[in-house]
Amino acid sequence: MNQGEIVAGFLAPHPPHLVYGENPPQNEPRSQGGWEALRWAYERARDHLEAMQPDVLLIHTPHWITSVGHHFLGVPHLSGKSVDPIFPNLFRYDFSLEVDVELAEACCEEGRKAGLVTKMMRNPNFRVDYGTITSLHMMRPQWDIPVVVISANNSPYYLNTKEGLTEMDTLGKATRAAIRKTGRRAVMLASNTLSHWHFHEEPTIPEDMSKEHPQTMAGYQWDMRMIELMRKGKMQEVFSLLPQFIDEAFAEVKSGAFTWMHAAMQYPEIGAELFGYGTVIGTGNAVMEWNLRQAGLSMLGAPGESLTAGAGGAQRNNLDDSRRSV
Amino acid sequence: MTVVSAFLVPDSPLPLLKPEVPGWGRLNSAMQSAGRALAASKPDTVLVYSTQWMAVLDQQWLTRRRSHGVHVDHNWYEFGDLPYDIHADTELAYACVAESPRHGVHARGVNYEGFPIDTGTIVACSLLGIGGTELPVVVASNNLYHNAETTETLGALAVACAEELDKRVAVVAVGGLSGSIFRTEIDPGTDHIANGDDDKWNQRILQLIESGDVGQLRRLIPEFAKEARVDMGFKHFHWILGALNGRFSGARVHGYGPAYGTGAAVVEFVL
Repeated sequence: MNQGEIVAGFLAPHPPHLVYGENPPQNEPRSQGGWEALRWAYERARDHLEAMQPDVLLIHTPHWITSVGHHFLGVPHLSGKSVDPIFPNLFRYDFSLEVDVELAEACCEEGRKAGLVTKMMRNPNFRVDYGTITSLHMMRPQWDIPVVVISANNSPYYLNTKEGLTEMDTLGKATRAAIRKTGRRAVMLASNTLSHWHFHEEPTIPEDMSKEHPQTMAGYQWDMRMIELMRKGKMQEVFSLLPQFIDEAFAEVKSGAFTWMHAAMQYPEIGAELFGYGTVIGTGNAVMEWNLRQAGLSMLGAPGESLTAGAGGAQRNNLDDSRRSV
Repeated sequence: MTVVSAFLVPDSPLPLLKPEVPGWGRLNSAMQSAGRALAASKPDTVLVYSTQWMAVLDQQWLTRRRSHGVHVDHNWYEFGDLPYDIHADTELAYACVAESPRHGVHARGVNYEGFPIDTGTIVACSLLGIGGTELPVVVASNNLYHNAETTETLGALAVACAEELDKRVAVVAVGGLSGSIFRTEIDPGTDHIANGDDDKWNQRILQLIESGDVGQLRRLIPEFAKEARVDMGFKHFHWILGALNGRFSGARVHGYGPAYGTGAAVVEFVL
């Protein structure tokens, strides 16, 4: 069996507007473009992903909400038409995806062993949520890489941010263990917007970019502050600010994907590459990459880990555990 | 009389998917009983508001003449599929879309093949026996940013539109009571309201509904919503209040019980 590897993690937001603006053959509505800065950002992310040649993409989505535990798609092939319940005018997409069921089952089992409630979704008629489909399309429109799709347990909302994100930290570590044990070469996708204040009415022409702008100045300023920290690799500071960011910018990272991904990557103190930032109906969206392979942090070892940690890895291993449980 | 009957029913699919579980089966029977009462009131159309049809932009109204397919609930998929075949009263639905802006509510119709009809609407249509060609529905979304007052406005304007079109309507609000849910798997046969305080709150509110004490209900609902984590702040009850012009003389509770710890009730209002 190959040694497991987490090649990289991407912040991969899911506004369906980006698919709509691109006009791919899978999506029924046609647009006049729009949101180019974000779509071109995704084009660069696609190029990077192509070079990584991963076995699997793992994605945590905020739009498959579950109340009893963390769920994993467990059907080898799923297809159908996904119509966005919020933006049915923009997103009516024919999808077809392959699930890495073996890895999903391993994630489910590792999560259970870590004390989480976990469950495999085995119903072949299940409709995959539009957030998952949007992020996956924007990262890999060829749909030729198997995926692991994880639900968003509503604990950050039902309980509180701290308890919820602590669960996501545990889920991330369990996901890392599963990748290691199955020997996968994995790329992780956190399907999250940043600031999430948004318009309450849609422009008459949705892709009229003269109407697009941040919904609030405070949200925009928060996004810039957090992105700058991420670019500089100050992830410890990012995570210490995360609860305040969530409260003050209504940030969607509350739903857990960002914490899950960074926990799986062991919170690397490495600079992220920003491919682009833009607003969609006022929300803040950034496409970003943390490249662990470039940093020499990608290979997963036995429990205890740290096979190829360079300077970043040494820094990583000195992190205070309390920060990891934001 | 435009409004001929009104009902509050739960949105959980468990009574529909697993009626062999005693508690859920009782809710299933209660909804069927309410459905018979609804049919006996001989409406032309049923006005449905479902908390699970969540919108964030505009007020959405279902304007597709026929919506059909198989839905799988995102939480309870292991208990089976939810086939549906729902017919809408498009004349009335379009009238509601047109009328909404006059009340300050930006609105749009939803008429797309494959649009994901929500679990609550499917459960209500299936167990109440509505949404067929003989008894079409008008379905309104739950805009998460609408408050109780706006939701009452929607209920009232839907009835006003029906009156304008000379239609008799039944009114149905789909949503739960207390919202505390078991967060680990339970034996369904042991299901109960998640905690005693929630149970007391639910019963207190149901007694007030039975007594038709709208004034006291209006005073208590904000506290009820907060203390018992009520589904969507009990906005669905305000859909009923709006449709009934803020008045009803009493109610019959066909059933009350748990749905994985949350509170579920089937209520028929006395007009």
